[in-house]
Amino acid sequence: MLLADFGTSYCKLLDTESDKPPTLIPTRDLDRKNIQVDIATGHNGKRYATQYVNELTALARGGLSLIDEPSFTLLDCGSRDIKYVIYEEGIIKDMGWNAECGASMGFTIELLEKYYTIDFANLEIPKSSFSITCGVLGMSHIFDAVVTGESEAKAVAKFVKGIALNAYNFAKHPEKIYLSGGLCDNPLFVGSFPCSVVPLGRFVLLEGLQTPSAR
Amino acid sequence: MERTQKQLFGIVGVPPLAVMEELAANRSDIVDLDEPQGRIDLETASPFLPRVYCGILRTVIANCLAVKPDVIYIDTGAGKCDCAVHTATVLEDILPQTTIIRTKNQDSCDFGIPLCKARMNLVEKMSAITSGVQLIAVEQEIIPCQPTAGFWGVPPRDFSLLSLFPDTTHIYGWARCMENKTPDNTEMECHYNSDIPTVFFAQSFCAKTALARHLAGKHPHGLYLDCDVTAGNSAKSKIQAFLELSGVTI
Repeated sequence: MLLADFGTSYCKLLDTESDKPPTLIPTRDLDRKNIQVDIATGHNGKRYATQYVNELTALARGGLSLIDEPSFTLLDCGSRDIKYVIYEEGIIKDMGWNAECGASMGFTIELLEKYYTIDFANLEIPKSSFSITCGVLGMSHIFDAVVTGESEAKAVAKFVKGIALNAYNFAKHPEKIYLSGGLCDNPLFVGSFPCSVVPLGRFVLLEGLQTPSAR
Repeated sequence: MERTQKQLFGIVGVPPLAVMEELAANRSDIVDLDEPQGRIDLETASPFLPRVYCGILRTVIANCLAVKPDVIYIDTGAGKCDCAVHTATVLEDILPQTTIIRTKNQDSCDFGIPLCKARMNLVEKMSAITSGVQLIAVEQEIIPCQPTAGFWGVPPRDFSLLSLFPDTTHIYGWARCMENKTPDNTEMECHYNSDIPTVFFAQSFCAKTALARHLAGKHPHGLYLDCDVTAGNSAKSKIQAFLELSGVTI
C-alpha cells in the first residue's frame, strides 16, 4: 500500500510493503501526471489518492501512535501552515489549523536560509525576537533590522524565534510540545521555543496514515 | 426580489411572538434578514459596518440595502446582541424610507425543541429552526433520537459547516432557544450534554464567542470553533477531525 503526505514544499511517500524508509520528494519534482497512491493526506492529496485523510486527523493519529502519554500537545509546523492537536487523558480536547494568519512560516524560513546562505546549526538563539504572525509579512522586520545595522544572521535568528513563539502561542503555550514537520531539523527553531520540545520528525502524518483506523 | 403592493416586513433576530402573530394575521410578506437572500454582495455592507464585524449583521445590512423592506423588526434585547443595537441605528440612518422597529423579546412561554432533538440532516434541521421563527403554532411532535454528537451555538452564516455532522446531532445553545421561541433564555442557552462530543460554535467577532469558548472548556469533550462569513477548509477540517477522532460515525 502506498501512503503519501502531500505537503506544499515536500511530499513524503511510504510503501508499507517495502522495508525502505519513507522517501522525501520536493513537491515541484513530483510526477503529477502519474502519481497515484492508496491513502493520502496533505495539501492537494485528494487529487492523487483513492482515500483521503484530513490532515488534522492524520496528525492526531500519528501522535497517538508515536507518543506514549495520554495527555500531550502535538504541533506540526509545515511549509504553508501550522496545526496542533491537544489530547487530555486520551481524549481529543482541542485543535487548530492556521493556514492564513500563520501562513508560510516554514516556507519563508527555508527561503531565508537559501537567500542569506545561513547555517541554522551555527546560529545562536537570540534573547529577543520579532513579533511575527505571518511569515511573509514578518520578513519586513528582517529588512528593517538589516537597514539599521543588525547582521543578517542575527536578524534572521530573531525572525525564526518570533515564528517559534507564535507557533507556541497558537498551540496554547503548553509546558511540553511534541513537534512535527521539517522544522524539527532546524536547531535554531527547536531551541527558540520557551518550553520543552520533543522533535518527532517530518513523517508524523505518514505514521497517522498507517494506523488501522485510517484504513 | 419581486415587489408586490403589499408591504414587505423584514425581521432580524427573533421578534416577540405578539409581533409574529400580528404579521401572520395580516398575511404579511416576511423576509428573514439574518439569512443570505440570494446572491447579494456582502461588500455592499462595508460602507456602513466595519468589515471586521459579525458576518450575520453584515448580511442584515446587505440584505436591507438590496431588498429594502418597508418595515424592519429588529430585536435589540438580550435575546439578540449588542451589535444589533448599533446595526439598528445604522439602518435608521441609511434607510430613511423604512420603518425600523426595535423589539426586546422577553417571551418565556416554551414552544418546545422537537427539531433540536430530531434525527434529521443537520442543515435541514437548522433551516427548519430558522424558518420556524415565522411560525406561530407549536411544531408537531417528533420522536427524539439518541444523540451521538452536539452542535452548540447560533445558526451559522454558512450552513455548509453543518453538513459534516451526523443526523443524530442534537442542537444546543441559542439555536435551541430560537426553536423554543425564548431567545433571551440564558439557562437554556448554557445547557449542554456532557455525554456527547460537542462543537461549540460562534460567529467570529460575535460576543457569543466568549460563551462558546467558556462552555467548550467546561465540557469534558467539547471543541470551540468560530468562523466568519464562510466556513473555510480549516474550520471544516477541525469539525471533521474532531468528530472522527471522537469516534462519531458520520
